[in-house]
Amino acid sequence: MQKSDYRNMWVYIEHDGVTAAPVGLELCCELRKLCDTTGDRLYAVILGELPDAEVEKVKECGIDGLIFVSGTGYEYFSTDAYANAFTVLSRKYKPSAIFVGGTVNGRDFAPRFAVQLETGCTSDAMELEYDPETGDIQFIEPAVGGKIMAVITVPVLRPQVGTIRPGTFKYAPTGKKAEIEVIREEIGFDPAAIRCRHIDFIPDETDPELDIANADCIVCVGNGLKDSEHLERYRSLAKLLGGKLGCTRPLYDRGILPYKLQIGQSGVMVKTKLYISFGVSGAVNHTAGVDAEVFVAVDKNPNAQIFNYCDYGIVGDMDEVCDEMIDQLKARKS
Amino acid sequence: MLKILVCVKQIPDIDLVRMDPETGNLIRTGVPTLTNPLDLNALEAAVQVKERYGGEITLITMGPPMAESTLREGLAVGGDRAVLITGRPFGGADTLSTSYAIVKAADMEGSFDLIFCGKESQDGATGQMASQLAERFDAAQISCCCSIDGIADGKIRATRTLETGREIVEATLPCLITVEKENFYGRLPNLKAYLEAKTAAITTYTENDIDGLDPEKIGVPGSGTIVPKIYPPELPEPGRMIRTGSPKTDVSELLKLLAEKDAI
Repeated sequence: MQKSDYRNMWVYIEHDGVTAAPVGLELCCELRKLCDTTGDRLYAVILGELPDAEVEKVKECGIDGLIFVSGTGYEYFSTDAYANAFTVLSRKYKPSAIFVGGTVNGRDFAPRFAVQLETGCTSDAMELEYDPETGDIQFIEPAVGGKIMAVITVPVLRPQVGTIRPGTFKYAPTGKKAEIEVIREEIGFDPAAIRCRHIDFIPDETDPELDIANADCIVCVGNGLKDSEHLERYRSLAKLLGGKLGCTRPLYDRGILPYKLQIGQSGVMVKTKLYISFGVSGAVNHTAGVDAEVFVAVDKNPNAQIFNYCDYGIVGDMDEVCDEMIDQLKARKS
Repeated sequence: MLKILVCVKQIPDIDLVRMDPETGNLIRTGVPTLTNPLDLNALEAAVQVKERYGGEITLITMGPPMAESTLREGLAVGGDRAVLITGRPFGGADTLSTSYAIVKAADMEGSFDLIFCGKESQDGATGQMASQLAERFDAAQISCCCSIDGIADGKIRATRTLETGREIVEATLPCLITVEKENFYGRLPNLKAYLEAKTAAITTYTENDIDGLDPEKIGVPGSGTIVPKIYPPELPEPGRMIRTGSPKTDVSELLKLLAEKDAI
């Protein structure tokens, strides 16, 4: 394999037939910058039908080209049809890299076509850099629970495949290019050959307490929490502040709070005015998911990494500090 | 009878792994190991299927000889047979080459109707292994499965957890499944099973025992990715620490600062 035969970068635009998922647009915006460095052209790949207004949004993200794939088998997501489409396209056009949003379905099919193409696949990079000496992308991501950052490369094989979590990169469209190349491919996949078929979809009931992504205030509880009996005071504090309760991964792992409240790279990315953490150590995987105007950290360990991310820090017993906050906030209100 | 394969991994306790500041290498020596927690949820799902539909569960892992203890743990809670793939040439593998080695070794045991995997490992955490195994097994895949709703006539019906709801799917066998932990909390072994597992026979394959194994496709040579560098995360400068002497005065100082910033 000659690496130099492989050129240009692709972004998969995940959609439900109505709207394009934000992650595809975020990836186009970020990769625009990378392609400007590498000299590659940036293509968005759309499988199945997407309304023109949504395609316009994709175009606004500075892409050089669009690849539309039509044919049977794209009405609903299936690993079989979607992986096949990328394998067929990649063999024909030889892209240097393919990026897929790290949604449940993106993570389902991207590693699969990487095997079909016998190439390297990475997941969850937080930064992308280019090494001009090797011509490789450096996928930089937290590892070992966020204690280290690892640089991962695909040194020999192509394309370089990466899944990236939603919210990792900013949606900051640079505008539509004067000329956008349009490629249309028909890659039909026999619906009868789809081995895992969609039968039905049952949307979750909306529970406002579980919708924390844009809450004005978030009280986040971490692994410092002794047990679920100690949890209620944090809920009360969140309520007093007109905010919502969130948590870090260990609390979900311990079965104390649901996954939808897990803040961080592998959970919800939050944007909030006031964020107060209690008993959170400050692993990169978590802090990467917090965009707060004011960040307050409370932890008993004075050396906790979380204090590097906060505006204001208090070292102390989390329960005691929380109770004190509740008392004083109540006193202020009355 | 369903033939079921469960893939498990022994991992270091990542809370105790440190980086050598001089060499930049990870220090794993003396770090206790455990079975990847999500793999135990996968095993539980397999055991529930076996209890409901009948079947035989084979556990498979790749790792150093000590990974045997993870297989014994699985045998104690419902596994029937166990396979260990071990040998230096398998070391340093990424998911591309690990999935190859596991499928080649599993082929030695015949074919499987269902393959269960944890959603991801706590140490590598790529979450890629399951899809890549499914491709190499030429199997259907159901990822993020939260319930198994029925198995009949060579098909499985199951529910997946997506971002905004649940998807009902139907897949043909063979099928690989990764499970959400919620409905598949692991069980504790009873004493008899625990004792039997301690001395149960384990099939061990080295690189010399697996038919048709291409040495170029395992370990480092078979990997698509490398990790040329690791480094500690760059930390921002610490924020302003409030140290007034007591929690009460700390909090009043904090609230004063937050009020000044219009944050409360």
